[in-house]
Amino acid sequence: MGINEEPLMWVEKYRPKNLDEVIGLHDIVESLKAFMRNPKTMPHLMLTGVPGTGKTTIALAIAHELYGKNWRNFTLELNASDERGIDTVRDRIKDFSRYSRSGFGDIPFALIILDESDQMTGPAQTALRRIMEIGSRTSRFILICNQSSKIIEPIQSRCAIFRFSRVDRQAMKEHLQEIAKKEKVELQPEAAERIVEYSEGDLRHAINALQTAAAYKEGVVDEKTVSLVIGEASPIQVQKMIRKALYGDFMESRKTMYEIMGSYGFSGSEIIRQIQRELFKMSDITPEQKADLSNIIGEYDYRLTQGANSDIQLSALLAQFAKYGKDIEENYAAK
Amino acid sequence: MQRNESLWVEKYRPKKKEDIMGNEEAKELFVEWLKNKRHTKKAVLLYGPPGVGKTALVNAVANEFNYNVIEMNASDTRSEKAINLLAKPATSYTALDNFTKTKETKGNVLFLDEVDGIAGNEDRGGVNAIIKIVEKSLVPVIMAANNPEIDKLRPLKKVCLLIRFQQVRIPLVIALLQKICITENIKAEFEALERIAQNSRGDVRSAINDLQSLSEENHILTIQDTIILNSRNKDISMDDTLRGFFSAQSIAEASNLLRYSNVDYDEFILTVSDNLPKRYSNNEELSCAYDYVSQADVFRGRVGFENWHLLKYFYNSLAQAAAVNPNSYKPFTFITPPIKIITLFWTKSKRTILGNICNKIGVKCHVSQDKAKSEFVPFIKSMLDKKKAHPILAWFNFTAEEVNFLNEMKRF
Amino acid sequence: MIVLNKNAFKLPRVEKEKFVNLLRLGLEYNRDKNVYLIKSYNNIEKLMDTISSILGVEVVFLQNCIRCGKDFPCKECNYKDLCATKNLPFSCVCPQCLRNMKPKQDTLVDF
Repeated sequence: MGINEEPLMWVEKYRPKNLDEVIGLHDIVESLKAFMRNPKTMPHLMLTGVPGTGKTTIALAIAHELYGKNWRNFTLELNASDERGIDTVRDRIKDFSRYSRSGFGDIPFALIILDESDQMTGPAQTALRRIMEIGSRTSRFILICNQSSKIIEPIQSRCAIFRFSRVDRQAMKEHLQEIAKKEKVELQPEAAERIVEYSEGDLRHAINALQTAAAYKEGVVDEKTVSLVIGEASPIQVQKMIRKALYGDFMESRKTMYEIMGSYGFSGSEIIRQIQRELFKMSDITPEQKADLSNIIGEYDYRLTQGANSDIQLSALLAQFAKYGKDIEENYAAK
Repeated sequence: MQRNESLWVEKYRPKKKEDIMGNEEAKELFVEWLKNKRHTKKAVLLYGPPGVGKTALVNAVANEFNYNVIEMNASDTRSEKAINLLAKPATSYTALDNFTKTKETKGNVLFLDEVDGIAGNEDRGGVNAIIKIVEKSLVPVIMAANNPEIDKLRPLKKVCLLIRFQQVRIPLVIALLQKICITENIKAEFEALERIAQNSRGDVRSAINDLQSLSEENHILTIQDTIILNSRNKDISMDDTLRGFFSAQSIAEASNLLRYSNVDYDEFILTVSDNLPKRYSNNEELSCAYDYVSQADVFRGRVGFENWHLLKYFYNSLAQAAAVNPNSYKPFTFITPPIKIITLFWTKSKRTILGNICNKIGVKCHVSQDKAKSEFVPFIKSMLDKKKAHPILAWFNFTAEEVNFLNEMKRF
Repeated sequence: MIVLNKNAFKLPRVEKEKFVNLLRLGLEYNRDKNVYLIKSYNNIEKLMDTISSILGVEVVFLQNCIRCGKDFPCKECNYKDLCATKNLPFSCVCPQCLRNMKPKQDTLVDF
């Protein structure tokens, strides 16, 4: 089982390996290519935007572009939400820097890709900035995040920032059809439509859904299968839980919550994070309502950190949603 | 429970003293005391286990003899100031005119329920204030308590006549349940009523509640139906506490209950949280109650293993959750917290295995473990369901244990 | 074992201290008839123990059935092991009346 074995998850199998293979993102690719021409001038990079839009792909493609086949030897991949704190980040970078000082051809630095860097706290980011400064002779950082506003100013000013936007529907459909063709699977138009709708501009979601749907029925992906597949995905479950609460059906909402906790093994704070994420995506809730609900979530998220029981806090949260939903209903009626 | 028209404990609340089952002697003594204008003791203390008829007697007799009961519940506010505010008017002639006094009413009695709820510092001088009121009072003072052996109440014993209530005997409880069955047109096996009565331990209120929550229209109540009472018997005080908690008529009552119960707080609050929507079907009330439970939960977290002095905030918040709307109470059967089942399933080892799986996915697909868990695992699981030995398992390098785990992941 | 009548039972002469104690525990003494009766039930358990020790034998009282009015002993009852007031002089329902599902008309109270 070697590194060259073909990846079996389609998100990996069909991930562009270098910058030329990347479709769309033309402007970003051109700018980056300019930097590549004279690597010594390449600054730290910050890739920011909603999930599933190509940031990690670009970062990996850059590594490939710089170091060729053995890019893994000169690249450190870290995920801020997996690491326990800035100290482990620092340690891992230190160890890595020590190793990579032995030279890497024309490129005078090693690459450190730090994903989900907006998950780091303020103090952690301050420490990161120092690490970036100390190591800037021998390493370049590529910071990946969803919200650049969460990155502190001193770091932002040291990076070239590239913004990624949602993959548009047409482009996504083309991607999916391309993959389907290569996998010898018939992707029906309504099914493609459903996947695009569900993924809301997140190509990774879309490809995972496609692959799972293809596993259900030999050779054909139809709308029915897609609905079945995405119905079981946790984002959908979380949205269902939120909606039921807002519609006032507390018991059903809580039942869904128990299913999510039981089926996926999510902890209380993981679910709260998902609630925030999914709430943000839901188009049938106005921005003002999202802000209100977000405040409620914040309150219970805080209480969770105070060492409370997650299912009590989550239940209480859903109950507040139920009350909020009723208030909205009454306001509508009043109008 | 199908019968939702009204609460039976309300419907069958005794209107005359003869309606009260058991404690004949106590009833006689009480009436004797009330009628005797020249009794040496101005106050009476009715004491005994809950649900045996103390409060019922006070109200029934007042109803019969046309007294107006001015009630003050324990611990609502127990400071001397508060007591004086309420009770003083009842103890002076001129103020008596301010109370509803029709031609028919003979006068007022002051009723202090749950006097054993007087707690330490919060009730500064509570006991002394009560004694003063008794001394100054021109109307009879009636007190009720569940547990009068508490030191704080010793001074009270000097100024009141003590009347003891016993647990209502099982045959009497059965007889009462029989009468209710006839009136409510319920067919019940004798053994079922027997079981309910035995389980109630002489608490008539809870026996009636149990009967109501177990009985259904067009259904013969059998001993099988009462099995659920059995499983609760294992932890009687938890069940009594829960029942008392949910049916509490005031913050004070709930707070009292929590203080004197021996239940495990953590299990209790989890069970409360799980059963809360059964108690409050109105979302407004539910969200209010849940917020209190949530606060109580936070306080419990702060108590940890050493800060026991913070426990009173835990009680306070929980008690508030109980009393959001006492009027909306209807008896219901408790559900076992599903969260217990879930926690049992998600043991530390299972979480570790899942963590390892997510780690492997994260590395291979360049995502965080979080995303791996929420975005990849469910899909991989689905693919596995379709094809048990899917090649992706080998690609991810999952161990046999990890593959097994994925296969066994259930839908709850 | 001896069965006593709660409204009139005899005890042998006891010394003053014990006598005072009996009265404190709830007995009343009728000088004319030389019998005791139970006045207060607040300390009934202790009272019975004391009477038992005076008489040197277990003391039981009969129960009075509120339905049929007859007196009956606790030993006839199915629930005696669960009863908190076993053998104490309180009112009850006799096993026969209990089994009879339809209570007598005059004992049915109006709700």
